Amino acid sequence: MESWPSFDPSTSELPTLTTADHPLEVLIAEEPVRLHWNIEGFATGWQSQIARDIKIETSPFVAEKIDLNCVAIKIPTPRISTLSFDFPESPQWQNFLQADKGPSATKQASETSANNAAPSPPSSLTRIRPPKDLVKLEDRLYYVLQPPLETLVSNARIDFAFQPFPYQFEGIAFLFSRETAILADEMGLGKTMQAITTVRMLLLANQLRSVLLVCPKPLVSNWVREFRLWAPEIPLAVIEGDQSKRQWMWSQPGLPVRIANYELLMRDRDLLESNLHFDLVILDEAQRIKNRNSTTSEIARGISRSRSWALTGTPIENTPEDLVSIFEFLTPGYLRDGMSLKQMGQATRDHILRRTKDKVLTEMPPKLFRDAELDLTPEQLATYKAAEDEGVIQLSDMGQELTIQHVFELVLRLKQICNFDPITGASCKLERLEADLEEVAASGQKAIVFSQWVQTLDRISESLKRFNPLQYHGRIPSEKRDGVLKLFKEDPKRHVLLMSYGAGSVGLNLQFCRYVFLFDRWWNPAVEDQAINRAHRLGAAGSVTVTRMLVAQTIEERIHRVLDEKRSLFNELFAEAGTPPSLGLNQADIFGLFNLKIPRSNKPKAA
Amino acid sequence: MSTSKGTDHFSFGFLTVRLHSDLGYLGGYLLVNSLARPLEFHCTLPVKPTRAQNILYGPTLVDFLCGEQIARTLVSKAKLQPVIVWTDSPAVLALRNVTEIPVCQVRQSRQNSEASKDLVIPSTQHEGVRGGELSGMDIYVSSQHQEDWESVAKRWRELTKPIDLLEPFTRIVDALQEAHPSSKAA
Repeated sequence: MESWPSFDPSTSELPTLTTADHPLEVLIAEEPVRLHWNIEGFATGWQSQIARDIKIETSPFVAEKIDLNCVAIKIPTPRISTLSFDFPESPQWQNFLQADKGPSATKQASETSANNAAPSPPSSLTRIRPPKDLVKLEDRLYYVLQPPLETLVSNARIDFAFQPFPYQFEGIAFLFSRETAILADEMGLGKTMQAITTVRMLLLANQLRSVLLVCPKPLVSNWVREFRLWAPEIPLAVIEGDQSKRQWMWSQPGLPVRIANYELLMRDRDLLESNLHFDLVILDEAQRIKNRNSTTSEIARGISRSRSWALTGTPIENTPEDLVSIFEFLTPGYLRDGMSLKQMGQATRDHILRRTKDKVLTEMPPKLFRDAELDLTPEQLATYKAAEDEGVIQLSDMGQELTIQHVFELVLRLKQICNFDPITGASCKLERLEADLEEVAASGQKAIVFSQWVQTLDRISESLKRFNPLQYHGRIPSEKRDGVLKLFKEDPKRHVLLMSYGAGSVGLNLQFCRYVFLFDRWWNPAVEDQAINRAHRLGAAGSVTVTRMLVAQTIEERIHRVLDEKRSLFNELFAEAGTPPSLGLNQADIFGLFNLKIPRSNKPKAA
Repeated sequence: MSTSKGTDHFSFGFLTVRLHSDLGYLGGYLLVNSLARPLEFHCTLPVKPTRAQNILYGPTLVDFLCGEQIARTLVSKAKLQPVIVWTDSPAVLALRNVTEIPVCQVRQSRQNSEASKDLVIPSTQHEGVRGGELSGMDIYVSSQHQEDWESVAKRWRELTKPIDLLEPFTRIVDALQEAHPSSKAA
């Protein structure tokens, strides 16, 4: 023990033991250590004990060797389960790609490669989204995994006559993935182009082989023109001619697109209901089937098809039931009469795409409305007063036999007097129109004049000979109509086109016109809007001025007031519910024009 | 092999592995043609590393799981062999250790506004080596296979039209969310 150092707390150094001097067991084992505590002070009594060495007793401890046991833990490789989906490429796409290698494409490609340039990213990318009612994952992924439309178009070098607007790409993406859809864009936003381009892309993707497009007869040539413009490589067949020719055209295999008119559907009903099947049926101006009891609607619903699209700027012309009727074509039973606007709006949200010009075309030239409030000429006024007084008395005397037709006849009579005095031919509207047209012609511009009567258009034409007017209405044979429009567009001496609402309100592109005159007013603002939008549409050369002729203190003013109120209501509700309420005059409105009560025997009915 | 008929018959692979805070790792692999149209899509069910794997692999876990396990499985499922596998996940570069196909990480410099907040790119300590720039984006290759950059750049020059190297990942993430609806925040 003498070899062990003593520990003195007053020193700073602790004794150090190393294994060089001592075995490990000895180092761990404790040995007694003598401690010296030097305490200075006067020790008295028991304090003297402090001066004594502290004796620490220790006992030796020998650590035993530990036997280490190794336990092997197997780390399993993560088990990875996968889902796999194949999307066989349509050969059409590859053919299209290989065929379209003109000099311009090659030049662009070589320049791009040389510069190793980035693809110029479009300002926005439009993705195709699956519709909500598509359930199968593989089908949903097919759409989710498609490249943005802009990329697809750019990579496949699909040419467009004009660069589509972003909202038009959205419309194409909407239609592309839907089996049932209503494209309800406001007139002039390019529903035709969107439908044609989608058909073109679906044909390329091999998703379609046979398409039937049904439109009003006057629009057939317009559709043919638009197809040639937007999809020139797609062969078209217009169903026309005698029965044997039509039969041959219906049954001809390998025709990707057939165009037929509504009137023709009735004649070829038996053929349509035989063994014909279409991958897609498009109804243009689908409000034509708003009456679901009509033969046209029945035939349209009976066509065998896989996909159904409806194009209309006015999915609801009069009542929400119009929309129910269109859905009877798309998805029978999906909507029902009596659903609230809110319910209908929710149910149809994923099926309808509607955009308005003010939302998507912020840079479109403005549409300027000018209400020309006129006073009847003395001759007109005399005739008008006599007719109204006499008419109202007659209606009042009819009692329970009074029907809406009787009231309607009086309205029509009074409206015609507002146009022209039947006795003298005097017309406050014509005077104003002539004055305005002088200015239009002098500035080298062109104008469209709308009336609901062909007879009125004839009379106007007589008085406007110096402006070389052209006419476009139901009495002009359909084969001559394209010629009329061409002449109007190309001949600088032709300043005026006289159109009826019925013939000229839909589908025509007259965006080179800067002036529209509504010589008389239609019953429904939606139809008026369609007429105005012949000129105010994409590609409009500038602002479009719309002059609405209105004779003060007459039936016209009263109708105008009622329609204005309805339009306000429409705007309010459409924003909330997504579907518009009644826009036209209903039975109560018409009776109300003369403060007449509806006889009990008459049920409410839309005009 | 899809390279025999010229550049228009190339197929490209786009592979991403994303991490969801609850579900774990999700892998998606999209094969597209030169029109960027989809040819094949493969995705994994969610993969969650065990506690033991977390401890024992430590910082190498992400590379192991994303690159050598998930990515390898996805590539092995495909019928087509692409000329390049593009990825936006650095951990997927480890795939190159187990495949002969060049693997490139596209590092996006611009902010992707459509990037999913629910499915994030897992971070890793191992980064690749910058090969160069394509389409304005930095391209990284595996540090053990730096020669990949040369072959990738050569392929790129052969393309008649450059491709968007980022956009397909948006599609894959959307597809993952379609396949695993619970990965999408309500």
